[in-house]
Amino acid sequence: MISPLNIVLVMIISLLGIGLYGLLITRNLIKMVLVLQILVKSAMIALVLAGKVSGNLGTGQSLAVTVIVADTVMAVVALALAVQVRRYFGTLDVPEISTLRG
Amino acid sequence: MMSVIYLILGIGAIICAYRAMVTQRLLSSILFLACVSALVSVVLFLLGAQQVAVVELSVGAGLVTVLLVYALSVVGDDARDQISVISKPVALGLVALDLLLAGVLVFPLVEPSLNVSSFSLAVVLWQQRVLDVWIQIALIFSGVMGVLGLLSENAGVGAKKDEVHL
Amino acid sequence: MVGLFSILLILLPWLGASLVWLFGDSRPKWLHSLAVVFSLASGLFSLGLLFGASSQVVVNIPVGGWFGNFTLVADGLGAELAAVACLVGSLAVIFSVDYMHGEPQLGRYYFFVLLFIGAMTGLVLSGNLLFTFFFWEITALCSYALISFYTDDPRAVSGGMKALIITQIGGAGLLAGALAANASLGSLQIADLLKGAENIPVGTLSFIAFGFLLAAAAKSAQFPFHTWLPDAMEAPTPVSALIHAATMVNAGVYLLARFYPAFEHVPGWSTAVTLVGMLSALLAGLLALTATDLKRALAYSTVSQLGYMVYAIGVGGVFASQFHLLNHAVFKALLFLSAGAVIHSVGTRDMLRMGGLGSKMPFVRNVFIVGALALGGLPFLNGFWSKELVLEAGLKTGNIWQFGFMLFGAGLTAFYTMRMTWLVFFGAPREDLHVHESGIAIRFSTGMLAIGTLTSWLLAGPLSALLSNSLPFHGLEYISTLNMAEEILLAPATWLALAVISLGGGIWIITKKTLSLAWFDVLVSSSFGFEWVNNMIQAYIGKISRALQKTQTGQMNWNIFGIVCALLVVLVILAWGV
Repeated sequence: MISPLNIVLVMIISLLGIGLYGLLITRNLIKMVLVLQILVKSAMIALVLAGKVSGNLGTGQSLAVTVIVADTVMAVVALALAVQVRRYFGTLDVPEISTLRG
Repeated sequence: MMSVIYLILGIGAIICAYRAMVTQRLLSSILFLACVSALVSVVLFLLGAQQVAVVELSVGAGLVTVLLVYALSVVGDDARDQISVISKPVALGLVALDLLLAGVLVFPLVEPSLNVSSFSLAVVLWQQRVLDVWIQIALIFSGVMGVLGLLSENAGVGAKKDEVHL
Repeated sequence: MVGLFSILLILLPWLGASLVWLFGDSRPKWLHSLAVVFSLASGLFSLGLLFGASSQVVVNIPVGGWFGNFTLVADGLGAELAAVACLVGSLAVIFSVDYMHGEPQLGRYYFFVLLFIGAMTGLVLSGNLLFTFFFWEITALCSYALISFYTDDPRAVSGGMKALIITQIGGAGLLAGALAANASLGSLQIADLLKGAENIPVGTLSFIAFGFLLAAAAKSAQFPFHTWLPDAMEAPTPVSALIHAATMVNAGVYLLARFYPAFEHVPGWSTAVTLVGMLSALLAGLLALTATDLKRALAYSTVSQLGYMVYAIGVGGVFASQFHLLNHAVFKALLFLSAGAVIHSVGTRDMLRMGGLGSKMPFVRNVFIVGALALGGLPFLNGFWSKELVLEAGLKTGNIWQFGFMLFGAGLTAFYTMRMTWLVFFGAPREDLHVHESGIAIRFSTGMLAIGTLTSWLLAGPLSALLSNSLPFHGLEYISTLNMAEEILLAPATWLALAVISLGGGIWIITKKTLSLAWFDVLVSSSFGFEWVNNMIQAYIGKISRALQKTQTGQMNWNIFGIVCALLVVLVILAWGV
């Protein structure tokens, strides 16, 4: 039978792929934040899996907690910024608000 | 037996994540994200990381979902058919290449180890990585302050914009 | 002790630069005082370094990995150039106190001047090829920033860009040579290159030698890279004196002198060096004959005198070239600073509009005449001794026709020098210009330099001792001042040279006619066709940069696309390596 660890690995890689693809495709700022959450979840499981495989589950878990904290704070600040962007630009369409070019 | 459970959870998570990315309505996406969080949390629990599973469940399926819904309520749900900037096949091809390589590189490394002598999470967090924990606490505080600062500027920014229009 | 001095010589000006930057533009008096104090301090330390110069490595800091060690070697060559840089630099800074009085953005000016002085001393003291390259690039940056100091003048900005592009081409040659040396020898230390030059295969050694020659020619504005120096005269005059007469362009000559023993046996290298020097000396002399801008004429004369130094190295007279470098630094800085005093008071650089200023500005006229006579080669001024040494070195090891050409160049020098002096200070005033005598800082700095011009030839003996004791690979012999003077005065070539020089000067005084041949003017104004090459290069680089700007779309999706592509590249590298 396929070992559970390999299944988890496949899950990680698929989530990574879905996250990257979503980032490339989406045009809405809030949806980008959402897709980023998926991406970070894959990183988190990867860390725990690495911890389990190498035997230091404690270290793996602490790193995963760090990742959760960092990415949650990032999501919070990004959403606050998205609210401001909506007020200032009137739209959440990423290509329209990209004014930093050249 | 365990494999089947993992398989169900894994496939469920992948399908929910895919639906989250694809749907046009943001509210549905947020709910699918919550499902993904829940399934991932169960997988973590089964892997042996119980504390992280609990944290992930409460934060991912709870906090982030509520935040996103709140932001959505302030901003409004512009659901429209959008053509992406980068053509879909190109993006798909690029990501598929990446995944293939990553998978090929990592696959041989995943083998269960025999020695399970590790410290518990509490010991690691509070003795070995204490500095890390303090930095995370500072990060949370600064994030909260930042958000409060950003959201308190409402009146200033909104008012200026109205003046310009007048 | 010597090590401490060497490190201080680099760090003191840089500390001064940081302090100047921190103080900002709102307190000009503080800025002036700080700059003067720090540059004078480094000048004093550089004098101290002269007494302790030896060929040993005095500072050795392991930087780790492939770079080798960060070494400083305070030998005669390095100490001499460091002393020139710091002392002439401090005099130029003192001059700036009066010249830049009331200018805006003084902080930026002094920051770059001090940064430049520190980088120059680092360049000449460094014992590691790669660090020489780093300091080389820092001096190029400072010269660019200072040439385009007046950022709202399009000529200044384009002059700065031209200087930057041309000296960077040279820098590429230096880097390529350094990396090739590292590949063959396994070490980046200069001493290892000098020691092990025979063990490097001839092909690689030729590549290194010509790469260094390219770097030196570009930095010292030699043929065919001579076009950037005249256009760099848009800089404020103390900057011109500092960078383009006394220190930065000497870096090229330093490079050739330092590596001469390693490369002298490379087939064709010495001939190439001699040819480059000769062509620059003659070409620039011809271009100076009809120049009407005072600073431009001085710039051409700098290129010409540097050509003499490069020629001296090519024929094997390393001591002659270093002695001429020392003397040239003193009298050229004097000429630039006094020209700056003139320009500052009358407000124009066009010599055809000046005339008869001698009676209204006696002090400046006197010091300028001292400098001009030294440039022309009047006996018992420092230019005479070193120029004769260069000519005789050519005679000893070269052909007679080389000597003839350089002699003709000396005659040209005398002609245009007399012309310059006459047009500015004597004769009837051609235009009614407002003239005022210069301030005390200007008088002090130019006065010190004039005293130096009269006496620096006496340093020949100590300089020779310094160089012969501390440069083990060059094989120089000690010669005392008295012996040198005797040797020069008794040689028949000297009297021939004096005759040519007086002929050159005499022709001007008798005819007093400025040459105006139409075809000659056309040749000169396009700098013998090189301007066209430069404009092409600049246009090409501009086109490339505008094309690359299109990739910065600013769209987030494209940026993420770039990130994902980079991830792909990393994964490919990992997969390939495994």
